[in-house]
Amino acid sequence: MRGIARDLVVTVAFAILLAFLPGLLRELFGRASVSYLSLATNALVLAVLALSWDMLARTGQLSLAHAAFTGAGGYTVAVLFKLTGAPLWLGIPLGGLVAAVLALGLGSVTLRLFGIYFAIATLAFTEVLKAAVQRLPTAVAGGAAGINVPALFRPTFVPGTMERWEVAFFRNQGYFWVYAGLLVAAIVISLVVQRSRLRAAFTALRTNEQVAGVMGVNPARMKLLAFVLSSFLAGLLGSVEAHRLGSVSPDGAFSVHTTVLALVTPIFGGLYTTLGPILGATVLAGIEETLKRTFSEGYLIGYGVVLVASILFMPRGLVGLIGKLFRGRGAGGTGRAGALADARGASGTDGARGVDDPAEERA
Amino acid sequence: MSTVLRVTKLSKSFGGLVAVKDVSFEAAQGEIFAIIGPNGAGKTTLLNLISGLLTPTAGTLELLGTDVTTMPTYRRCRLGLGRAFQVVQPFPEMTVAENVLVGAQFGSDGVSSAEARRRTDRALERTGLAPLRDQPVEDLNLLQEKRLEIARALATQPKVLLLDEVMAGLRPGEARQAVELVRSVRDEGITVVFIEHVMPVVRDLADRVLVMDHGAELARGTYADVTSDPRVVEAYLGVEDEDAQGGDEPVGVPSVDASSTADDAGGTTGGNA
Amino acid sequence: MDLSLLPQAVVSGVLASGLYALVSVGLALAIGVIGIVNFAHGEFFMVGAFLAYQLFVSFGFDPLLSLLFVAPALAVIGALIYLSSIRFVLKAPELNQMLLTFGIGIILQNLALLIWGGDPRTIANVPYRSLGFQVGGVSIGAVPLGSFVISLVLVTGLYWVLAATPLGRAMRAVAQNRIGAGLVGLEVNRVYLVAFALSALLAGLGGVMIGVIQSPTPTVGLGFTLKAFAIVVLAGLGNIRGIVGAALTVALAESLVATLVPNGDALRNMVFFAIIFVVLVWRSRRVA
Repeated sequence: MRGIARDLVVTVAFAILLAFLPGLLRELFGRASVSYLSLATNALVLAVLALSWDMLARTGQLSLAHAAFTGAGGYTVAVLFKLTGAPLWLGIPLGGLVAAVLALGLGSVTLRLFGIYFAIATLAFTEVLKAAVQRLPTAVAGGAAGINVPALFRPTFVPGTMERWEVAFFRNQGYFWVYAGLLVAAIVISLVVQRSRLRAAFTALRTNEQVAGVMGVNPARMKLLAFVLSSFLAGLLGSVEAHRLGSVSPDGAFSVHTTVLALVTPIFGGLYTTLGPILGATVLAGIEETLKRTFSEGYLIGYGVVLVASILFMPRGLVGLIGKLFRGRGAGGTGRAGALADARGASGTDGARGVDDPAEERA
Repeated sequence: MSTVLRVTKLSKSFGGLVAVKDVSFEAAQGEIFAIIGPNGAGKTTLLNLISGLLTPTAGTLELLGTDVTTMPTYRRCRLGLGRAFQVVQPFPEMTVAENVLVGAQFGSDGVSSAEARRRTDRALERTGLAPLRDQPVEDLNLLQEKRLEIARALATQPKVLLLDEVMAGLRPGEARQAVELVRSVRDEGITVVFIEHVMPVVRDLADRVLVMDHGAELARGTYADVTSDPRVVEAYLGVEDEDAQGGDEPVGVPSVDASSTADDAGGTTGGNA
Repeated sequence: MDLSLLPQAVVSGVLASGLYALVSVGLALAIGVIGIVNFAHGEFFMVGAFLAYQLFVSFGFDPLLSLLFVAPALAVIGALIYLSSIRFVLKAPELNQMLLTFGIGIILQNLALLIWGGDPRTIANVPYRSLGFQVGGVSIGAVPLGSFVISLVLVTGLYWVLAATPLGRAMRAVAQNRIGAGLVGLEVNRVYLVAFALSALLAGLGGVMIGVIQSPTPTVGLGFTLKAFAIVVLAGLGNIRGIVGAALTVALAESLVATLVPNGDALRNMVFFAIIFVVLVWRSRRVA
């Protein structure tokens, strides 16, 4: 099918670009490339975070528990390191697995929760998890202080073969490639979902779960599948982050900040797409740098503004905006689209400006 | 003719409110079975019980010989129960064909992509939507949307099709087309159970009619039987005779749900849900 | 489990229920009248606390005095927020509303972080802060008692407004039938505006009082949103009258856990969130 072939080509091209990007940056910017690479890495992290959250959102489950899964990944790595002598790399897939199992549990009990109730339940879940981890025996999970986690990459300075700044560069490059790999994996998963009958099932579920059931879609299985995919990616991400940041702690690993980033980015970029979260991440990571430098505490305010602005003015995100420009169509379709959006609110951010009167004149 | 749907003493209460009380009926294969009754009679609730969107407080349901009383909705669909909703809920950001494809892909177990596409095409043809297949669903008018509802349901390969007030909001010409469609569906061997307010349609289509009032059965029989039953007439507050345009429910009674729509001038749309 | 502490736990719980009721009743108002689940509700509470703190630090205002200033301030803030964003999503899908109010909450929280930093702030040097008295072996602090009384007065005041004033009647009418009220010609939008401003005001006043009892940081908002939401759900969405009972239940439960269970104080939040989670899940299974 033409669509799949195109997706494949683009993905491979993108992967190649990512592979060569660090080298390119070094050639172009020399010493300054270290910080550019760092910036690019942040964008990658945000992109994976966003894509993974979006995966779950596609079934209409707007979760506020994303930090629970990244945190679970991070803690898996940390505890594994602390308690066993297992090779570091083992912790990463294990982190993804633990997060996935956790999601299976959470997803199963929240199947009948929707909208705000689902959101609140997931938020409560995260808080309980955070508190529980903090209360685990310090020998196991480090209590409130947390656990230190060794870095994945520790390049050593060898005088004569390289310059001092290249130590930092090589370290950043290592993480960059790992995250790039994660992102490519996330893209592949997303594309596979979008190109298969899963897309229809997810869309049906998020539009109206009852109608979807009547058409033969198995809500439980689909929702849990989305949950597992989403959390697995989040767990992997959290695992790698633990190494990069050097430590995990209850407040840090399960911080609601992570969840905020995870949901604002795809909403801004364009929900339920593969490109949207990535686009959103790229733009926001760029802005975030500036924000962080201006406001050390409270830089998240920018994200709040972006979220509010997106809901009010850009319900379909950047992707929708771009699509509108190219197609030249009116915003959000005609009257029926507004009416559709009313059902359970499950069509996401369509029709933010209001629902058109369903009893309007019809041809 | 064999019984495809058997409803036995089905009841549903919401807290203290009894919505459906001890309703029983059987639909035979290839039959067109109508359920009528005044506002709030419990007709849609009954249909929701049959679909599996609600769990009954008492009674049993049998579909094609299998007890489905507690079976989840999607399994009933795979077994052969199709449903078209009163308020059409197409899946947004997908085309007409893609919407119908959902039904084709998930309506039965183990459907290959090719087979799903075939079923989709077939359903689109049957409902006359083939020329519109690549249209975004947001652009459809009311009649087209209703056809989409039916096409989606047909794509799930139902043996029993539940229709909920398909005629509401349609003009006479459109209603005639819808009636033809329902007839053709039955001619394929699909059993149709439908709720309707538009009496001429019931008269033209129904083999048997069940009248509900206040959640319970009021009368049953052929259209002629029930319309001449004084209790039915009284329940409806003045169904004059067959030739009346639509039911004469009190005009201006606000809709209980926002679904039923405005009358068309001089049309056959008589009632509100 | 030291049961001799039971009376103390009960009294503390009852006293705390006042504030809980105050915060929750505002949220119930927003949900019942406007139909919007305001994720930023706890932030109004937080803003009230920090405004009072600032008034105390800059001008030496006693918190009791601050109440008079914070009330209109929060009402204005609530009104501005309503006019600039909330009213545009009234008819939008519930999820849009949720995300919008969540975003507003993030903005408020981080604004506070920018202004005051992340450290806990408390209005400490108030003369009556450590005042208290003993009644039959149970110690009652002046501040918790005062908060309880003030909260009760405010909540009762709200009930009175709802029951006896034209505005209150309008709000109840809108709560019962949003479409119908519009048809009858009620100035629905103005009712929404007032209701939202009122909900912000009530939360803010609760915040003033918590500033004296505890040491809030700008991040406490979300926790209070959760608590308020739990109480509202417990009372039944839209049931404003049931809030007092629900708040009492929650406050008592929390107090009992904190006092009677070993290491309970540290656990109280965790237990609370666990209860919210369990109740939500359990309720969902009973449906249909």
